[in-house]
Amino acid sequence: MERGAHLFGQQLINGLVTGSTYALIALGYTMVYGVLQLINFAHGEIYMVGAFTGLLLVTQANLPFPLALLLAMAITALLGVTIEFIAYRPLRRSSRLSVLISAIGMSIFVQNVALWVWGPQTRRFLPPFPVHTFTVAGLRTNTLELLTLFVALVMMLGLHLLVTRTKLGKAMRAVAQDRETAALMGINVNRTIAFTFAIGSSLAAAAGVMVGMLFNAVVPNMGVMPGLKGFVAAVLGGIGSIPGAMVGGLVLGMAEVLGVALLSSQWRDAIAFAILILVLLYRPSGLLGRRTQEKV
Amino acid sequence: MKGLGYPRVRFGSRLAFGVGLAAVLAALLIMGSGLALAQQTVVIGMLGPLSGDYATYGVSVANGVELAINEANASGKYSYRFVLRKEDTRGDQVQALNAINKLIELDRVTAIVGAVLSGETLTAGPIAQDAGVPFITPSATAPAVSEIGDYEFRNVITDDMQAAQMAEYAVKNLGLRRFAILYANNDYGLALRRAFEAGVRAHGGQVVAVESYLDGDSNFSAQLTNIAAQNPEALYIGGYYTEAAKIAQQAALQGLKVRLMGADGFDSPELINLGGAAVEGALFTSGFYNGTQDPLAAEFVRKYEAAYGSKPDMFAANAYDSARIIIEAIQAVGPNRAAVRDWIANVKDFPGVTGLTTFAENGDAVKPLYILRVENGQFVQER
Repeated sequence: MERGAHLFGQQLINGLVTGSTYALIALGYTMVYGVLQLINFAHGEIYMVGAFTGLLLVTQANLPFPLALLLAMAITALLGVTIEFIAYRPLRRSSRLSVLISAIGMSIFVQNVALWVWGPQTRRFLPPFPVHTFTVAGLRTNTLELLTLFVALVMMLGLHLLVTRTKLGKAMRAVAQDRETAALMGINVNRTIAFTFAIGSSLAAAAGVMVGMLFNAVVPNMGVMPGLKGFVAAVLGGIGSIPGAMVGGLVLGMAEVLGVALLSSQWRDAIAFAILILVLLYRPSGLLGRRTQEKV
Repeated sequence: MKGLGYPRVRFGSRLAFGVGLAAVLAALLIMGSGLALAQQTVVIGMLGPLSGDYATYGVSVANGVELAINEANASGKYSYRFVLRKEDTRGDQVQALNAINKLIELDRVTAIVGAVLSGETLTAGPIAQDAGVPFITPSATAPAVSEIGDYEFRNVITDDMQAAQMAEYAVKNLGLRRFAILYANNDYGLALRRAFEAGVRAHGGQVVAVESYLDGDSNFSAQLTNIAAQNPEALYIGGYYTEAAKIAQQAALQGLKVRLMGADGFDSPELINLGGAAVEGALFTSGFYNGTQDPLAAEFVRKYEAAYGSKPDMFAANAYDSARIIIEAIQAVGPNRAAVRDWIANVKDFPGVTGLTTFAENGDAVKPLYILRVENGQFVQER
C-alpha cells in the first residue's frame, strides 16, 4: 500500500508537469477560438518553432536562459501574428471552413519549411544550467520539472492579470463577446486579434522550449501530437474559456499519466482522444465552458 | 447528381487504345530481343526506398549492391557483365508493386536484392515468387517474410533472434536477473519484446515490468516511473535510436540506474549524439560492426568509405553480401532464375563481410551476431 501510494504520488508529478505544458498550448487555441471562432491548426507548429528558436538562442547565440526564453517567445509571437496576417485575415469574411483549410495548409507549410531549414533529424536540447534531482517527501523531482511548473504558473498568472486587469485584456474580452459591437465602441479589432495571436504563440513557444529541454529533443514534427493534445485540452476545458484551458490541460495530463499507471502504456494517447469524444458527446461546452445557443 | 459531378464519360475509343497497346508491345519485343543479343550482360535488380523517410536504409542497400557489382565487373574474373537496375519504392507499398513489376517484366532481372522494409517486401515478394525470380532481402525482419516462398531469401538476422541472444547473454554472461522492457508498439518492438521476455524466462531471469510507447513519443515519464517502482537491473528497449536516446536521458533524470539494452535499432551514431552520457554502457545486438578487426570486413569498410565517403552500416554490409551471393550463383550456373535459386538455397558458410552465411530451410540466413557496447562515445565490440 505504502509503495502504491508512493508510485501514485510520483505519477501525479509526471502528470502535473505534462499537464502544465498542455495547458500552455491549450491557451493559444482557446484564445484564438474565443476571438475568431477558429481552430488554429498551425498552433502545434508555432510550438515547434518556439522550441527551435529557444534551442538556437541557447546553443548558437549562447544567451542566458531567461533571456533566451523571452526572446524565443517574442520571435514566435511575431510568427503567430504573421500567420494570422497572411493566412487568416484575408479570409475574415469567408466561411469558417475556408479559414480552417487555410489553417491546416499553414500547419503543413510551416512544418515543411522547418524540415527544409533544420532537417528531419532530432536535435538534442541540453539545459544550459545544471540539473539537480531532489527528493521531497519521498517523491523525486528535478530542476527541469520544477522550472517547467514554475514557468507555466508564471505565464498563466500573467495571462490572467493581462486579460482581467489591462485595457488590452478588456478589448480581447469585448472582441470575443461581440466583434461588431466592439468595433463600434472604437476597439481596433484587427489589432486586438493580432495581439491575441501574439500572446497565444508566445505561450506555445514557452511550452516548446520547456518540453524541448525536458525531453532533450527538438524535431520538426514535434508539434503534431502536442498540438492535438492542446486542442483536446482546450475542448475539455471549454473552448473559448481561458481558465478552462488551464484546467483542461492539467486534467488531460493527469488522465494520461494515470492511464499509464493504472491501465497500460498502450492506452495513453487513446485516453486523450476518448476524453475528447466523451466531452463532445456529453458536455460539448466543456468543463468550464458556458452553454451557448447558436444564433440561427 | 448524374456522373458524380464530373463531365459525361465518353465511350468508344477502344480502337485507339488497342492500336496504342500493340505499338507498345511491339516496342518492348524489339527492346527485349536487343537485350538478348548482348549475351554477356546480366541484370541484377535492387528495390527499396531511395527517397522519403526511409531513404537512408535504401541508399545504404543500393550502395552495397553497387559496390559488389562494380567490383565484380572490374575484377575480370566473371564470364558476365553485371548491370544494376535500382528502383525506388519510397517506402510505399503501391510503389513497391510497380517497381517489382518493372524489374521483372521490363528490366528482365535474373535476381533481386530487396526489398528493404518489411512491409514492401511482403507486398513485392509474392510477385517475384510467382514470376520465379529469386530475391534476397538484406533487411526485412518481419517473421511473415520467410513464408513468401522458396524464391525468398533473407540475409539479415531476425528480430526474435537478436532479442533471444541478448537475453541469453544478459542472464548467462552478465548474471543479470531482473529485467524491465520498454518497447515501441509496432511490429519491430513487439517482436523484440516477445522474444526477449521468452529468452529471459528460459534462462531463469525475471521480467518485472513491461511498458510500451508509440514511435515518435517524447514523454516517457509515466512508463519510467512504473518501471523504476519495480527496481529492475536492466532495461531492454525494443525500438529505434531516437526514442532510445530520449528514454536513456529521462531514465537518468528519474534516477533510474539500469543497464540499457537493445537491438539493431540502436545502431546509429545518432544514439550517441542524442543520448550523450546517458547511453554510456548501453549494449545492443547488430549484424555488422564497422570497426571490426576481421580482415574481409575491414577491407569492405575501407572500400565503401572510399566510394561513398561514409562508413557502411548493417544495411550496406548485408546488401553487399547478398549481391555477392547472387553474382557467385550466376557465375556458377548461368543467368537462369531457377538454377540461381537452387544455388542460393544450397549456400553453406559463404564468407561474407557479415560473417559465414548459410541459408536455412525457410530461406533465413544463419550467421553470427555482434553485441556492441557504447564506450566513451564510441561503439565497441562486447562479443
